[in-house]
Amino acid sequence: MIEVRDVSASIGPIRILSGVSLAAARGRFVTVIGANGAGKTTLLRTISNLLTPSSGRVTFDGKDTRGIAPHRLARTGLVHVPQGRQIVPALSVEDNLMLGASNIRGLARGDIREAIEREYARFPVLRARAGIAGGNLSGGEQQMLAISRAVLMKPKALLLDEPSLGLAPQLVALILKALREMADAGVAVILVEQLAMMSLSIADDAYVLRQGRIVLSGPAADLRGNASVVESYLT
Amino acid sequence: MSWANFLQLTVSGLAMGAIYTLTAKGLFIAHLATNRLNFAQGDFLMIAALLTLALRGLGIPVPVVIVAVVLILGFAGWGLERIFIRPLDRLGFRGGGEYSWILTTAGAGLVIQNVAELVWGKSAQYSPPLFSGRNEPVRFLGAGVYPEQLAVIAVSVLVVAAFYWFLFRTRWGKSIYAVAFNPDAAVLLGIDVRRMVVLVFALASMLAGISGVLAGPIVSVFPQMGLVFTVKGLAVAAVGGFNNPAAILFGGVLFGLAESFSNYLNSEFGDLLPLLFVLALLIVRPTGIAGGRKAAAR
Ligand SMILES: Nc1ncnc2c1ncn2[C@@H]1O[C@H](COP(=O)(O)OP(=O)(O)O)[C@@H](O)[C@H]1O
Ligand SMILES: [Mg+2]
Repeated sequence: MIEVRDVSASIGPIRILSGVSLAAARGRFVTVIGANGAGKTTLLRTISNLLTPSSGRVTFDGKDTRGIAPHRLARTGLVHVPQGRQIVPALSVEDNLMLGASNIRGLARGDIREAIEREYARFPVLRARAGIAGGNLSGGEQQMLAISRAVLMKPKALLLDEPSLGLAPQLVALILKALREMADAGVAVILVEQLAMMSLSIADDAYVLRQGRIVLSGPAADLRGNASVVESYLT
Repeated sequence: MSWANFLQLTVSGLAMGAIYTLTAKGLFIAHLATNRLNFAQGDFLMIAALLTLALRGLGIPVPVVIVAVVLILGFAGWGLERIFIRPLDRLGFRGGGEYSWILTTAGAGLVIQNVAELVWGKSAQYSPPLFSGRNEPVRFLGAGVYPEQLAVIAVSVLVVAAFYWFLFRTRWGKSIYAVAFNPDAAVLLGIDVRRMVVLVFALASMLAGISGVLAGPIVSVFPQMGLVFTVKGLAVAAVGGFNNPAAILFGGVLFGLAESFSNYLNSEFGDLLPLLFVLALLIVRPTGIAGGRKAAAR
């Protein structure tokens, strides 16, 4: 579903990513782990075309994404939950939920309503706070909202930027479980994280990113068995 | 001050306040989504007032004129964004840095002023009333007030209500809030940010257009009238910290009333007083009366 081939990217004059390659097929749960500043956010921004790669290419659903506006990619199912959740503080929980879905063509109001009910069943706290301004939610609630908002966009591929940031461990487990369900339902999931062991325990495939390069990759279970090596790359 | 005087001053203050509010709401919505201000907003108002006069002079019915002028102004807003603002973003630093839109939009205002002067001449014109037959006071609550001013107030209330409905109830209004919060995050939700930016500038100019249509019959219309409206619109928007629509409404109404009464008390410096009030307010509360709270309107 997503293929990143030999991608390099720069911000201004500074090169951030160097020759990164990775793949996430439908139904695969892929994690990219790396320390703070390794280039995880830049990698996801490059995949969703917020940043144009200086070389290499990204394909989504078999098509080269070069030149496709990022909002169009989002509408066709390349859904990216950015770092820091980015819940619109002035809008209510339900308005935030609708923001993404209302831009997807061919989604009827009834379909959206049904999907919202499913998300409320998944995260009941969102139903309880449906009318509350997004800015008044806790970090964990905002993360649930961000994920539900993404799910409502009918993703074929789902990119998540450190959803665990600032959350209590049991909340992280809840979020990861939801992501696993997405993958099992056929979505290609790419989760970038600093929390290595947690991510490795739930993902199928894993990559370790360090200073803008992939330094290690393989089945997540294998990397988990090599914890000391993985940890050595995360400093 | 007699009751009749008081009521007259209140009605004319509310009418002018309504116009400042609409002008300021235009500044507000463009600023919300783009952090830019249109320093030609008052000149857009002026051109709308002159266009209204010209089209009515051709014998076109008033409702058609109003719709046409507002639509023309919408296109003007689109043009402003395309020609005077977007190229600067593309040029980045070579475009003169972060604040060059101040110069380009103010420059657009000067161009509009001079074109208006070429077409219509410098002198002031007086519009016949839009909504009432003749511009004569009628008895209202025991005082003689101009029906045109009452109509301006009524129409403004409707426009403000429509504006609120658009901003807080429609998908596009909510998208504007998403863009205002974080354009990149909005893009990731499938929102066409560039189209939203064009939309807010078109809307801002349409609000200037409505202001101009309404102001025509209650002020004198001439090519240099715009700057005063830009300044007062900015003052009113500043009262609301540029980001709080309810505070802007409050500020606009208050500004109009203050101006009306201070002009009565002192016709020489009457216009200055409300501006000094705003200045004093901003010294005490630089973020406006709502103290930087964006969502207080909800
Ligand atoms: N806007 C920017 N300007 C300059 N450098 C940046 C910018 N954004 C990120 N970087 C640099 O790029 C590197 C990777 O950043 P990022 O992708 O945010 O890493 P991560 O998400 O893994 O923490 C860091 O060294 C960071 O300092
Ligand atoms: Mg990051």
